[in-house]
Amino acid sequence: MKKQIILFTVLLLGVLHAFGQDVYSCRNANLSFFSSAPLEDIEAKTDKGVAAINAKTGAIYFKVPVNTFQFKKKLMQEHFNENYLETEKYPWAEFKGKLSGPIDCTKNGTYDVTVDGNMTIHGVQKAYTEKGTVTVNNGQLTATCKFNVKLEDHKIKIPTLVIKNIAEVVEVTVNATYIAAATAAK
Amino acid sequence: MKTMRLLCVLLMCCSLSMTSRAQDDLSNMFKDSTTGHQPVTGTFKSTRIIMGHSNETLKKHELDFRVAHRFGDAGGEFGGGKTAFGLDNSSDIRIAFEYGISDNLMVGISRAKGSGDLTQIFEGLAKYRILKQTTDDHMPFSLSVFGNVTVSSMTSSDDLTAASHFDEFTDRMTYVGQAIIARKFGNWLSLTLSPTYVHRNRVGYMDMNNMFALGGSGRIKLSKRLAFIAEYYVPFRDQTSKDYYKSLGVKFFNPLGAGLEIETGGHVFSVNFTNSTAILENQFIPETRSSWLQGQFRWGFNISRRFSLFGKKDWKK
Repeated sequence: MKKQIILFTVLLLGVLHAFGQDVYSCRNANLSFFSSAPLEDIEAKTDKGVAAINAKTGAIYFKVPVNTFQFKKKLMQEHFNENYLETEKYPWAEFKGKLSGPIDCTKNGTYDVTVDGNMTIHGVQKAYTEKGTVTVNNGQLTATCKFNVKLEDHKIKIPTLVIKNIAEVVEVTVNATYIAAATAAK
Repeated sequence: MKTMRLLCVLLMCCSLSMTSRAQDDLSNMFKDSTTGHQPVTGTFKSTRIIMGHSNETLKKHELDFRVAHRFGDAGGEFGGGKTAFGLDNSSDIRIAFEYGISDNLMVGISRAKGSGDLTQIFEGLAKYRILKQTTDDHMPFSLSVFGNVTVSSMTSSDDLTAASHFDEFTDRMTYVGQAIIARKFGNWLSLTLSPTYVHRNRVGYMDMNNMFALGGSGRIKLSKRLAFIAEYYVPFRDQTSKDYYKSLGVKFFNPLGAGLEIETGGHVFSVNFTNSTAILENQFIPETRSSWLQGQFRWGFNISRRFSLFGKKDWKK
């Protein structure tokens, strides 16, 4: 009986452990992108991204509702959703990947990391390897990453008429502050 | 004892599944997340369909410069080759500046040549978006209301019985109130239903000062930037009025229009055919006297150019 109680306790701890400590999540990740073309600079941002990171295994995940991106010009925002990203058909952009190594969440500091994974935009998946940083600050993680997305890679077509208004390669910036998932769940 | 063993097994399963869940696929954490009640965008490309309004309004600080033109009859007595199928004549022309005060409220002023009882028309209009259809169908349709006031600046007719004889300034005025119910079905089809009320302060003998009408219109997207559009209005003119005009040899027809809409960045072009000669609701609903079947339909176009003003300032807030 005693043995079983010990086993029970150990298992219970195991469950809590798996659920809690290594996984950090974020429900208000900031994403923005910038397109610089001869005639026009276009910028849009959202803070509606969700993200998670497993500090032990290095697994990371990002997801953003594409129609939450806000533009300076509302007509542009409409065209972005209607003509380019087709958000009714493809409402999410998603990234699944892995960090180059584990992060020690008990030690404050900034880690330079390499992220390896697949990103799906406009329903088209592509492999990306990008550099970013993860900052640990008293059990809170902040991840930042800046990378380029070539529109052609995700089958986003730019008509010849606006070729001077929209860049072929768009710079994307991601910024997320994570807290331990168990805390976040509360 | 038995329960304890069962609990242990359960926990073990739980532990295993959670470990795998937490470590291998983080996406499961957000499986339940949705985009929320996001409003449906782009039910129509423009604030107009062919003659009448769509549910769309201009966004805050957007200026829309609009030019609409209706040519002469393509066929029938006044059409045919000698007038280049109506291109030599213009039945109505409207030039407008419209502006978005907020994302849901727009106002505008326009000048129309006018086609019907009154000509030389100035118009003031407002449209407000009350409801927005959402992507998750939390709100299944969109609703906007539109209203306008027109004033004719034409010289008063000497004929005391004419609709264009003005005793007072208010005789020059007409009004339209309209509700536009719209729904976007998937990406390619949008439909509207528009109960409309037209009031004209002064009308000819046996004509109606107040008239209700029901409009219906739709868009079928042929590609991302090209769409087929059509529109139909049924004015409810009472029988005595119809009979009286019939005895004078005048028949009224329901306005029907069909066309193509092309969007290129900030421009929206609509090229269309209509039987109604007028552009404003105040006229084409109660006063359409030309029939498709008698060749009395015409080429027309609407051009809309949208400018975003003060864009930077709004965005930095």
